Amino acid sequence: MIDQLMNLDRRVIFIFVFLGVTIPLLADFHFPIKATPTVIAVYDEIERVAEKNGRVLLSFSYGGGSEPELQPMARAMIRHLFERHVPFVIVCLWPDAVGLAQDAVQSISSEYGARYGVDYAFMGYKTGQSALIINMGQDFHVAFATDQDGARTDTLEITRNIRSLSDFDFVFDFAAGESIDHWWIPFGQEKYRFSLGGGCTAVIAPDLFPFLQSGQLVGMIGGLAGAAEYETLVGHPAMAVSGMRPQSITHLVIIAFIIMGNVTFFLSRRR
Amino acid sequence: MNRDTYIFGGFVALFALISGILLGVGNLSPDASGFGTIVAAGFTLLLYSFLYKDNPLFKFGEHVYVGIATAYVFGQIWFQVLYGDLIRPVFYPEADDVGNTLHLIIPTILGLLMLTRFSRTYAWLSKYAFAFFVGLGAGFTIPRYLSSYVLGQIEPSLAPLSWSAEGVNLFIILVGVVTVLIYFFFSVEHKGVVGGASKIGIWFLMVAFGASFGYTIMARLSLLIGRITFLLQSWLGISLT
Repeated sequence: MIDQLMNLDRRVIFIFVFLGVTIPLLADFHFPIKATPTVIAVYDEIERVAEKNGRVLLSFSYGGGSEPELQPMARAMIRHLFERHVPFVIVCLWPDAVGLAQDAVQSISSEYGARYGVDYAFMGYKTGQSALIINMGQDFHVAFATDQDGARTDTLEITRNIRSLSDFDFVFDFAAGESIDHWWIPFGQEKYRFSLGGGCTAVIAPDLFPFLQSGQLVGMIGGLAGAAEYETLVGHPAMAVSGMRPQSITHLVIIAFIIMGNVTFFLSRRR
Repeated sequence: MNRDTYIFGGFVALFALISGILLGVGNLSPDASGFGTIVAAGFTLLLYSFLYKDNPLFKFGEHVYVGIATAYVFGQIWFQVLYGDLIRPVFYPEADDVGNTLHLIIPTILGLLMLTRFSRTYAWLSKYAFAFFVGLGAGFTIPRYLSSYVLGQIEPSLAPLSWSAEGVNLFIILVGVVTVLIYFFFSVEHKGVVGGASKIGIWFLMVAFGASFGYTIMARLSLLIGRITFLLQSWLGISLT
């Protein structure tokens, strides 16, 4: 028995993980979702911008590989911005983010009857990463002379008066890589001193906690759990909230396998 | 034919049968949208077939994915960057572009020089482009990283301690920073006080690795949840709560 467990076929674990995801998705039950301080800080920052009739810059730095984690987060934040009538501009620092950003904003803008160029604008993708951020900080109209469809940014109502990144009241980056800590913080927030928040995949969330403590980030939404917390705060539970059921159950499955593996290991040593 | 051939052949036949039934009963529409869903579901399953073992179906799915992703990224870079920012202003300038093309041509020449590395005769030309790029990168990066990563992080680590929850947090961070630094200080033998401190540093590192691993599991499961949600909802047409 112990030998069998010590040499357990990894495909058995895959089957349990598959069932741990599928069954909770099909079943109807809910775990309580309580927002953590880092997510509440992002929500409060948008509320602050709404109170002062400010503007927000959303930066999309992810691709299809991170869609399940970051797309629900982006949709929840766009919904929050539309609900609070906060105008926002979207830029893409990853080329494969363009379609995802368009999908997120177009599907929600129609629900709120938002007007392009007034309530939101889409700049599309530009190469350069950190150089583009410096460029936006120096002169936004030079960095993005036109939007994605070729309309001049110095004529669009939402971008007409934006000269620099400092003219945005809040900048938020959705990141699947190093864009927050290697691009936005050193070349944007530190240089032009604006309020910066980050939404990231769970893999890179631990790397960003030092920047929260130092105040370089005002708040952070980490992974699907963070997205579920934000959906709860916005009062519109969607993909992320329903994804937390399989997430929690599968974590229990993995914890059970870790305990079983350790117990089996120590029992085999005793023999 | 071996057992695996039957398994994978059966897998493809089952997928085709299910998709056919879904089209037949109207769960999937017989148009581009329905066909797109079937293709996406098929490739999702092809790529997950690697969990059983490496196989030609997985290889096919992997290569198609790489090809499509590359083409998509190239399309974005071509229209937004190469055409939008270079070819259009230089060759088809509008009124606002006049006089602004020189700052585009010089970096373009430097960029083209990088491609000379493919020629043994002219590879030396690429050194000028790389020298410019390295110099520019260092000049941009060093002051900004010193400010963000060193000065920006030292300040909160050295904040005054107090008898509060925040003070306890600061104390833990301070102990963590000092003991981990001692662990990575190899000029002194790790014995006595230094040895004890470095052991505490190891514990801090283990907790950090554990937290990182936990977050990684959450991230990978989120991707799996995303794909299974797609298969159940969009392909099989099951409504999820």
